[in-house]
Amino acid sequence: MNLFRSEEHARRWTRFNPASEAGFLSLPELAGFFGTETRRHMLDADYLSAWFPKRAAERREYLTRIGKTIPFWMGTPDP
Amino acid sequence: MFHRIMRGLVDTGRPPHYAELARALGLSVEDGRQLLHAVMAAYPIGWLHPETDYIASFPPLNGLPTQYRVTVRGEQKWFAQCGFEATSVTWLFPGETVRVDAPCLDCGDPVTIEMRDGRLEWADPPGVVGHLNDGFGPSRGRPAFL
Repeated sequence: MNLFRSEEHARRWTRFNPASEAGFLSLPELAGFFGTETRRHMLDADYLSAWFPKRAAERREYLTRIGKTIPFWMGTPDP
Repeated sequence: MFHRIMRGLVDTGRPPHYAELARALGLSVEDGRQLLHAVMAAYPIGWLHPETDYIASFPPLNGLPTQYRVTVRGEQKWFAQCGFEATSVTWLFPGETVRVDAPCLDCGDPVTIEMRDGRLEWADPPGVVGHLNDGFGPSRGRPAFL
């Protein structure tokens, strides 16, 4: 999970996975993805018990909202 | 223990050792070690260095250096686990500008972002993108080590 100067830079990366063409997020999308509610509580004393368990559902909801619903993003096996 | 690890990383830039955690929590050293393993099992997006009890990764920060250098208040003493987690580090430093510098893995030229309280304040170049190379979860096909 890396940052690149542009999509073209990512595609030129020697370890670019050709099956990852759908694997791009704009920087605002990325900041939103990693800025959901649970992320704001990482310093809370009860984060591990109260917030971390909510992350998977929260991630799926965010990915759905930005249209990233394919198995590659949703973590489900390829059909 | 989770909170102490995260707080230790934020305060010092390095993950604490289980013996330090045990003392702080009033536990025996061995109980501290076992609790560390329990915490890591409950937080599987982080990991210990293989075959050790050393915290290698505790996202969004990393114990081992990565290419994602994090600077706060002019001090560069943190590393983000990966480029995606780098955008989450802002939540560990409320009210502060968090700068992430990394070399582009294609050309080595710099990629820089600055965030404050979750807001993107600056990116250079403006077209910075995030890229997921192997998919999440069972579709991933590779271990979690990044």
